[in-house]
Parts: sequence; C-alpha cells; structure tokens
Amino acid sequence: MGKSQIACRNLWKIFGPTPERVAAEITAQRTRAEILQTTGHVLAVRDVTFEVAQGEIFVVMGLSGSGKSTLLRCLSRLVEPTHGTVLVNGEEVTGMDERQLRQLRRHKMSMVFQRFGLFSHRRVLDNIAYGLEVQGMAKAQRLARAREILELVELTGWENHYPHELSGGMQQRVGLARALAVDPEILLCDEPFSALDPLIRRDMQNELLRLQKSVRKTIVFITHDFLEAVRIGDRIAVMKDGELVQVGTPEQLVAHPINDYVREFTRDVPRVKVLTARSVMRPVHAKDLLIGHAIAIDTTLEALIPLTVDNEAGLAIVDEQDDLVGFVDRRAVMLALAERGAGS
Amino acid sequence: MSMLRSSLLRRGEPAWQRRLPVGLAALAALLLLYHLFGQSLGEFPVAWNLQLREPLDAFKKWLVGSRSMNPLFLYGFDPLSGGVEWVIRRAEEFLLWLPWPTVGSVLFWVGLRVGGVQLGLLAIGCLGFMGGVGLWDASMQTLALMVASVSIALLVGIPLGIWSAHSDRGEAALRPLLDGMQTLPAFVYLIPVVLFFGIGRVPAVIAAVIYAIPPAVRLTSLGLRQVSEEVVEAGRAFGSTPRQLLYKVEIPQALPSILAGVNQTIMMALSIVVIAALVGAGGLGTVVLKSLRQLKVGEALEGGLAIVALAILLDRLTAAVRRGDEAGRGAAAVRRGWVPEGAVKRLMFGWRALPSSVRRHGWLWGGLLWGSAVSALCWALGWVDFPKEWNLSLAGPVDAAVRWAQLHLYRIGESGFGTGPVSDFMSLYILAPLRQLFAELLPWPALVLLAAAAGAAVGGGWLGLASGSSLLLLGALGMWQGAIDTFTQVVVAVLHVSVIGIPLGIWAARSPWVDRLLRPLLDLLQTIPTFVYLVPVIMLFNLGRVPGVIASVLYALPPLIRLTRLGIRQVDETAVEAATAFGSTPHQLLTKVQLPLALPQILLGVNQAIMMVLSMVVVAGMVGAQGLGLEVVDGMQNNRMGQSVEAGLAIVVLAVLLDRLTQALARR
Repeated sequence: MGKSQIACRNLWKIFGPTPERVAAEITAQRTRAEILQTTGHVLAVRDVTFEVAQGEIFVVMGLSGSGKSTLLRCLSRLVEPTHGTVLVNGEEVTGMDERQLRQLRRHKMSMVFQRFGLFSHRRVLDNIAYGLEVQGMAKAQRLARAREILELVELTGWENHYPHELSGGMQQRVGLARALAVDPEILLCDEPFSALDPLIRRDMQNELLRLQKSVRKTIVFITHDFLEAVRIGDRIAVMKDGELVQVGTPEQLVAHPINDYVREFTRDVPRVKVLTARSVMRPVHAKDLLIGHAIAIDTTLEALIPLTVDNEAGLAIVDEQDDLVGFVDRRAVMLALAERGAGS
Repeated sequence: MSMLRSSLLRRGEPAWQRRLPVGLAALAALLLLYHLFGQSLGEFPVAWNLQLREPLDAFKKWLVGSRSMNPLFLYGFDPLSGGVEWVIRRAEEFLLWLPWPTVGSVLFWVGLRVGGVQLGLLAIGCLGFMGGVGLWDASMQTLALMVASVSIALLVGIPLGIWSAHSDRGEAALRPLLDGMQTLPAFVYLIPVVLFFGIGRVPAVIAAVIYAIPPAVRLTSLGLRQVSEEVVEAGRAFGSTPRQLLYKVEIPQALPSILAGVNQTIMMALSIVVIAALVGAGGLGTVVLKSLRQLKVGEALEGGLAIVALAILLDRLTAAVRRGDEAGRGAAAVRRGWVPEGAVKRLMFGWRALPSSVRRHGWLWGGLLWGSAVSALCWALGWVDFPKEWNLSLAGPVDAAVRWAQLHLYRIGESGFGTGPVSDFMSLYILAPLRQLFAELLPWPALVLLAAAAGAAVGGGWLGLASGSSLLLLGALGMWQGAIDTFTQVVVAVLHVSVIGIPLGIWAARSPWVDRLLRPLLDLLQTIPTFVYLVPVIMLFNLGRVPGVIASVLYALPPLIRLTRLGIRQVDETAVEAATAFGSTPHQLLTKVQLPLALPQILLGVNQAIMMVLSMVVVAGMVGAQGLGLEVVDGMQNNRMGQSVEAGLAIVVLAVLLDRLTQALARR
C-alpha cells in the first residue's frame, strides 16, 4: 500500500444551533437518539478516524442517515466539521482559509454527485470544462482538455448537447468527466451510481474500474450498496449512526465481520468471488502431503474449488515470497462456503 | 352557517370567539331596528374626522414653496428627479431620432432571434399599427417611459432579489413590504409620488418603478432559491468563488424565473405608465384619457389599441426570451429552411474571418449592423417620420360605428333590449338599491359591527377588531360615502365575475376544446393594461358607474377562470378515479369531489378578482365613476392634495381589509 493521501482524525459533525456546547457534553455511553432527544442536535459524524492511501479506492458504506455523505463533505469542507482534523498530503485542510480551500478544491479534490449535479444551462463540453474555467484557464485550452476527457469517458459526439438530452448513465459519465478534467489527486464520489438502473450501474462500476487503471486516483466512494462496495472497493468502511463500525478489505469484512450488523450485509455477497486462500487456509500440519503445485495466497475461492476437487490430499498455499504459509483441503473450502471459515 | 360553525368548532377556539360573530351581528340588527323605528342614527359623525386635509394641503404648499431651500429636495428629490428626467429624455430623443423603419427592422430582428419569423412579423405588425393610427410619436414617448422605468426597476429589483435569496433576514425584511405593495391598486402609487415629484413624466416613471419592482425581486429570489442544492454544491466543490458561483451557476440556473420577473415588471410598469396620463406623463395614455373625457371614442380606441399593440409586443418578446434557450428559435428558423443556410453568415462579409467575440455575439452585431444599414438608407431617402398618408384612421369609421351603436344598440327596436336598458337596469336595480342599502338603510354603526362580525367569523377576534376599526378609519378619513360607493361597485362586479368566471373555469377544466378556445382570449385580456378596458366599454355604455363595473368584470375574469380550471385539474386523479369507481355521475363527481377539493384555489381566484376589481373601479374614477377613484382624481386636478391623500388612504384601507378577509376565508 502506498503512502497516506488523506488522513481523517477524530472527526465530529454535529448539526444544530450550538454544536460546540453539545460536543463537550457527549459521552461514549450516550446514543445518537438520546442526544437528539435531549439536546435537539443531530450527531452526523462521531469521532471518525481513518486513512486513505494514494491510488486506493476507499468505500464508505452505510444506510441512509448513517452520516456517510456528511463525512465525505467534511473532507473538502463543503460541510464544516465541528471538531477534528482532515489532512491531505500532510496539509491540514481543517486549518485552511477560504483562498487555500478554493485552491484545494480547484486542483486536488473533485467531486461526483448522486443526482449528477450537472449545470443544465451548459453544454456537455462546458460542464466538463467548468472546473478549468473557474481556475481561469483560457477557453481554447480548457475546451481542448475537455474534449480529451470526453473521449476518455466515451462520449465523443455529445459535446454540444445539453445534459437533459442524455440518459442517466451518460449524464453521470459527464459528471465523472467533469471531475477528472481538472486532473485531481483525489476523487470524492457521493453515491454516484445510486440513481441509475441496476444494469447501467454495473456498467458504470466497470467503467470506473477501467478508468482507475489508467488514471490511478485516490477515490473516496460513498454507497449504501454493500455489493457495490465489495465490487469496487480496495477497502471498505462500514458506517452506522455516525461511527465507523469496521474498516477492512472486502475479504476481511466477509471472512471476519466484527458484529452481526456487518455480518448481515455480507450475507448476499458471492463468497466464492471475495474470499481467497488467505481466509480459507488452515495452518500446515505435519501429516499434510505437500505434493503438486503450491497455490498463491490471493487465489479466490472460485479458482480454488476446482483445484480441491481434483486434488484429494489438499493444496499448499504460499505467500508473495513463495514461503509456505498454509494448507487448503476440501473440508476448509466447504466450511468457508458455509460461512464458518477457518477464522470463525 | 352550519358549515361555518362546524369548521369553527374544529379549530378548537374558545367558546367566546365562536359566539363573537353572532353577537356582533345581533347587535347590528338591534341598531338597525332602532335606526328604522326609533331615532335615526344619522351620518358618520363629522367630529370624528381626523382633519388631515388642511394640514396636508398646508404641507404641500410648504413643500412647493420651500422646494428651492429644503435640503431634502436640493440633495434628494431634485437630483433624483433630474437623473430620471435625463434618462427619459435621452431614451425619447433617441427613439424619435431613429427613422421608423429602423425601429421596426431592429425589433423584427429581435423577434426573429428570440421567437422565429412569426414573432418578427408580429413585432412589425404592432409597430405598423401604432404608426398607422398616427400615434408613432406618442408610442415612442410611452416606450421611452417604459425604457426608463423598467431599466431602473430591474437595476434595483434584481440585486434586491439576489440579496433576499442569499439572506434569510433580507427575505424576512422584504416580504411584508412586497406583500403590502402588491395589495395596493396601481393608482394609489401616484399620490405620494406626485406630492414629492410634482406632475409630469418623472413621477410617472417613479410610480412605475415602485409598482413594478415587487415581481422582479420576488421572482429573482424565488428562482435563485429554487436552484438545486446539489448543483450549487457542485459549483462550490470545484472551487468557485462566490462571484463565480453567482454568475456562472446560480443566475443562469435561475434565468427562466428571473426573465418571468422581467416580463411581469414590464407589464406592470406599462399599466402605470398609461394611468400616469392623469399626472401629465404624456404618451399614449394621455391620448386615451383626453379623448375619453371629450367622448371622442374613435380616437380613444385608436390610442387604446396602440397601447394593446405595445403591450402585446413587449409581452410576447419577453415571453419568447424566457422560453428560448441559447440555441434560440432563430437558429431553428435557419434549420427549418425559412432562412437559407449560411445566408446570414455570408451576408456578413466572410463570417469566419471575424474575431471570435464578434462571432459569438453574431446576432447582436448582426442586429446592430442591420439597424445601421437600414438607418443610413432611410436618412438617405428621407424616410424618418412615419408616413402620414399611410394613415389607417380608425377614428372616423369607429365614431360612425359608435353613433350607429348608440342609435341602434342602445335600444334594439322596440324590444327593450340593448346596451341602454342593460346599463339602466344595472344602475337602477342593482347598483342603486345596493348603494341605498349600505348608505341609507343600514346605519353606519351597524355596518361597522357587521364588518367586525365578518372578520371575527373568518379569522377570529383580532381580524374582527381590525375589520371594525378599518371601517371607523374610513369614516374618520372623511371618505365614508366614497368608500360605500366604491364598495358597492366592487360587490356588484365581484358577483358578476364569480357567476360568469367559476362556471367558465369548470367548463374549461372539463372540456378541452373550451379550454383551447378560451386560452388565447384570456392571454389577450391579461396583456391589456387596466385603463384600456374602459375604452370599448365606454363606447357602448357611456360614462358613469356602469362602464366601470363592466370593465372591471372583464378585467378580473381571467384569473378567476384560470384558477378555477387549475383547481379542478389539480384534484388528485386517484380521488377522481375512486369516485368514478363508486359509480358517481359526472354531476356528483363535480359537486362532491372536485369542487370541494378545488375550493381553496377558487377562493384564491375570488381574492384576486376582488383586488383586480377594486383597482379597476378606482381607475374608472378617471372617467367619472363615483367613489374613491373620483375623489383622488378630483383632488389632483384641483390641486387639493389633502383630498387625494385621504381618498388614497381610504383605498389602501379598503384594499387591505378586503384582501385580509378573503385570504382568511380562503385559508379555512
């Protein structure tokens, strides 16, 4: 994993008339509902700490009202955090003045919105060029850049249309293109595919992964759909009532959910695609027959199953350095499929 | 009453509040009996008069006398007045300096740009009419007044709207002010303005500015507040400065609403600019007013129709701007092949060679070029003034038609039908008895109590108190008789409007072809400024109260028809479906489901009708209809400012009272 690009420490956001005073009174024992009832304040984000590495897709997953959108907006201070720090490349965003903040938003961070947030009065091309325009880039230059991006998201030919003339999926491509046009280091995505039909959503997820291969941005991605989180996230943070419940790779969450709340989400996940030898294997016993090929530790269950079918004795698992780290047999695979993997 | 009672109970008011209206009404009845069979209660006591008249006249005299010394005038009103005068004069000189074909061809160009060929031709037609009836100069004078008042109104109104959109406190401060401003009839604005700016064109423009600002503020604010939050957030997320956000995101997004405000501002300014003939504003309004007073109906009609032409021109052009997007219908005209592809571009000596800024604003530059070319040609040929020999001269034929109408329509044969009998009937059997009821039969204290009872019944104790005191105030202003007169006319007109308008609205809601038939008619009626309604009515019914009432019926019909239709159309479809599924006949559907559900909208329409009727009845005072309007006009023309102000205040009191009462009723 690369170096840390975003760091968020002890972040709080409380909505209401006197958030600072309420923040001082909050103790660990009081739930969000209690606080709302006694003080009339909404605790949207509660003591959240995490780091996102460069080039990583970090997904924040939670149900509606869990505070995930507020958390995302705190990162670029579209919503002002009540307490805590946000660092981008080691610089303290929470201490920036208006001008510095604007520079950050213009050059380092872009955003993609749930309902696209396109400017209906501008052509597709001018929508994409908006970020460059407010930076003050000359017209010819920014339009040329916008055309490049248009090609990248495969919308060539649509530059002179207005957003309402496009389908939902195409509109969000414009939203994505607009965010990419300024060549930011960080992409903030607020449920970008939630408003789309399931099939289009899947297309767009693949599109995002395809783009990510070439642009390698640091992406913070909000969703309420756990399957989407599993599909695209390098790591997932599950959020509930303003707090992070568990942070980990999709496999960690599926294999070792921290509580029933997280386990409930993992139910529908196709385990064969998420779990790898890492979470299926057991320690090597002396009596194990180490014959045949060794299997890499990040092999998915989907690939392991046919191998264990053919190989009665079991398979040796090796890590990145080719060291023997574990052993997988049919029993281990079966248990993993039955949600009772080696870890549980 | 039982329905009223039950709704009162539902609101859970204290018992005394429920009994208050009944008690007040009973007291009024007792007073009536005493008045009829005991001692007469007489007129509103003179001793209670507030005695505003003399101090106001003295104040006016002092104002006029101290004009040259008073710092308020020296550094406030006079420079303002001078500035406004300068703008009007420049606009007028410019418009009259241009050869008439230039004005026509430039407006044609604008029409083509914003709405296509038809609109361009409409613009030419409207202007041609103004010239054709020999009113080119008067039309340009009115247009100059419009240019001055609309540009000032927008320069003030749009920034105020932006402020009120961005600041909740600003909105809270402006809202009651704007509400109040929209309640008052146009006419009333002239009075204080004349006090400080004298007579002439300047007070006309200032009154028009004040009257026309509210829609600009409101619709700008509304438009900005309705911009999607996510879109604004997107603007911020890309690092826009507040200024960039405003100009690149918020204003373009709110543009349709802002332009709707511009359109309304223009139409409201026009109605004042026309009425301002009363204070010597000149232009088309003066043509109409003078001719009406001399009963030269033909000339009045020419002036009136020229005003309508101007109104249609301004309304359709601005409405088309509102609808058209950047691509524009002009471009559509090229696409549809009305204008040959590339012809416009080739016309401009090699389009591609021009700098990009010129190319981007091609229509603008093209229009300027086109206008200059036409001007040069016209100056060379000496075509500057609208040719006299093209005169349409409607006046002669119209006067003949009016004479014919008076001879033949006044009483059709021996049948007893015709406009004369209608007018007499309305005057003798509707207006006079009602007036007698309010003015003579009911003693004034009984009326005060009845007003209080009505207020208490629809809006509770406080509204009752306010209603009662409003009537006392009318008396104390010395305007009891005038107010009764005006009120009578309002009642009669509103009854007619309701009886005609509500069924028409229902019919339009249920029958698509009636709807299609009515729509252009209503559009036209709503484009015409108040004053102009009087012209055809006076043609048929002569001067007096009746034409005022008839004109106000025509004026107030469109909003009631529209709101009734809208109310019924908006009834939830599932409710209609449910009623049909239970086997309702169309009649049952209407009376048991649609009408009750549409009632709030219909009452809102009645509220609007009342306010419009009031403003028209007051305007009718300009041509001699009795009542508060006449008091204002009379005071202005005889230099009795006190009288005008008293009558003006009485109009305000009456307007606010009627507005609050009907709004309270509509809210229930």
